[in-house]
Amino acid sequence: MELLLQQLFNGLTIGSVYSLVALGLTLVYGILHIPNFAHGALYMVGGYITLMMMTNAGLHYVLAIVVSIIVVGLLSVLMERLVFHPLRDSPPIQDKVAAIGILLFLEALAQLLWGADYRQMPTPFGEVVNVFGLTLTLQRIIIVAAAIAVMIFLYWFLKKTFIGSTIIAMAQNREGAALVGINTNKVAILTFFIAGALAAIGASLTSPINLVFPGMGHLVILKAFVIIIIGGMGSIPGAILGGYILGFTESIGATYISSDYKDIIAFVLLIIILSAKPQGIFSKGGA
Amino acid sequence: MRKVKFLFIISLAFAVVMMAACSQSSGGSGEEKVVNIGYSGPLSGAAAFYGENTLNGLKMAVDEINKEGFEVEGEKYKLNLVSLDDKYMPNETASNGKRLVQENKTPIIFSPHSGGIAALQVFNEMDNFLIVAYSSEPDITERGNKLTVRIPPSYAGYIEPFSTYAMDRFGKKMAALPPVTQYGKDWAEAIIPYWEENGGEVVHQASIDFSKDTDFFTILTNALKQDPDVLFIGGASEPTAKVAMQARELGFDGGFIIMDQAKLDEMKNVTQSYDVLEGAVGVTPLIHTEYPGTAEFIDKYRELYNKDPGSEAGYHYLATYVLVEAMKAAGNVEDAKLIREHIQAGLDQLPEDKKVYEIPSVEDDGGFVNLIRMATVEDGEIVLKEVD
Repeated sequence: MELLLQQLFNGLTIGSVYSLVALGLTLVYGILHIPNFAHGALYMVGGYITLMMMTNAGLHYVLAIVVSIIVVGLLSVLMERLVFHPLRDSPPIQDKVAAIGILLFLEALAQLLWGADYRQMPTPFGEVVNVFGLTLTLQRIIIVAAAIAVMIFLYWFLKKTFIGSTIIAMAQNREGAALVGINTNKVAILTFFIAGALAAIGASLTSPINLVFPGMGHLVILKAFVIIIIGGMGSIPGAILGGYILGFTESIGATYISSDYKDIIAFVLLIIILSAKPQGIFSKGGA
Repeated sequence: MRKVKFLFIISLAFAVVMMAACSQSSGGSGEEKVVNIGYSGPLSGAAAFYGENTLNGLKMAVDEINKEGFEVEGEKYKLNLVSLDDKYMPNETASNGKRLVQENKTPIIFSPHSGGIAALQVFNEMDNFLIVAYSSEPDITERGNKLTVRIPPSYAGYIEPFSTYAMDRFGKKMAALPPVTQYGKDWAEAIIPYWEENGGEVVHQASIDFSKDTDFFTILTNALKQDPDVLFIGGASEPTAKVAMQARELGFDGGFIIMDQAKLDEMKNVTQSYDVLEGAVGVTPLIHTEYPGTAEFIDKYRELYNKDPGSEAGYHYLATYVLVEAMKAAGNVEDAKLIREHIQAGLDQLPEDKKVYEIPSVEDDGGFVNLIRMATVEDGEIVLKEVD
């Protein structure tokens, strides 16, 4: 029983991180209709900015995250303005190639600027907390709590505010949104900013339990793609649910089936879900 | 018409490239001749840090040697290091190897990972180049390849002393958590039977994928459920240190057997203190090693790169000097067979101050004979142990 609870908590921790990354990816998919391969690189840059703000500028962890959110958000916007916006009328393959190009560029840049070393991000919340025989660390509790808070805020923003609903409108139908007077340029910029911010939050929260290095984006990005496919491309609730499904499958599957097969279990699940619902769990009808 | 033009441009481009390549390999102006030394290792991607460390040692030696140059059969030579990135992928190592031989005519190619070395061994005897292999995988020298030199000690020598130490100090129950790489699997397959033959029990076995796992809590929770006395872990130093840290967070208080790729001093940079690693047994970190040339090397390396060197840098530095001595003894800078035959002479003539490690001889299969030593963490300090 204790084991089950501990593994559920482990699944919740990692699922929260997956969901945050997948949310950014799915938002951009809604706008661009291409998978943004560079999202993992934004995640990596987010980790580095937070780390640099803490070690070089001496900022507190939380303040460093705020700076990171802004920087990576702007970087994401810059990416949209310089690369994806000029390509908006080209065939989708060109966006994909561009996205891969940005990914390679950012990774090489990070290695040039900060070196290839693995770096440790200190956290002021390192204490180990034992509750009912479960081992939690404060950092992990913060990961879960912050991720859920961010998701609730995002959901409220998209559903209940006017600006938020313009993002949904544009994801549903770009021309339609333009016809009713939505400034698609502004919405695209905003969406990219949010996606970058989410990547920065995800990386900054996770880095203290892992390490910061140029290839760290690869750890999560492939999984984020699986998640948005499971959840339905472009779907917000799908990304959240998919993230937790994958997190729990990994931890529970590793415990009760086999840890060597945990990735297989996740991908079998993907196949099962896609067989039943080819468009993903929260597929959108029509277009 | 367009097609013809296209073909013309392609062939023109090809000709230009060929010409550039030729002019490069005929190399050198006038008096000083150049020996190209090849390197293929991970310089980008997940293992880039490791690749850079190996290359740093190599570069340092090449720069030092080039200050004076060296003389072979009355002619003065300098080294030219040609380093290519293979992203840790054996197929890339193979194509890099071909490229180095064809474009740069390198008689010697360094490669720091077992997969890449195996790929080079497919054609190195035919293309006549010497592989200088930095990997502790014993297979490398057991394949009977005549033009391979393995620098570090094979990990086979660590199995017994590591196991004995951990078993005596902590107990008989081991949980094995090697990385998923081939090297990790081979290590596990070597240590697990030994552990069991000597009365130990392997209570849990799983592998860690450092390229996919963000968090190790899940895997460790399962391993620790079986209440092991010893954890067998490994991989690059820093992520391995994270595994050890998370095991402690989950309440593990036993010892660690650490695969030779990870170094205790580098792990300490992540854990902040040796307390977390109490009871760990692993290879001796270079900075705790004392051979005639070690101290000088460490000082120079710190000055140049602003950090402590690991054994991969030290071994590459040493190997470069050994090769130069071997070329001098062979009186030849092109023929890999001759150079290989004179490696022993190279080891014998290695200047005292370049002896970052003491290597008395090279075996017939190409393995350097290293004195095996191990390091343990006892009461928060590194304690060195002799192994016979």
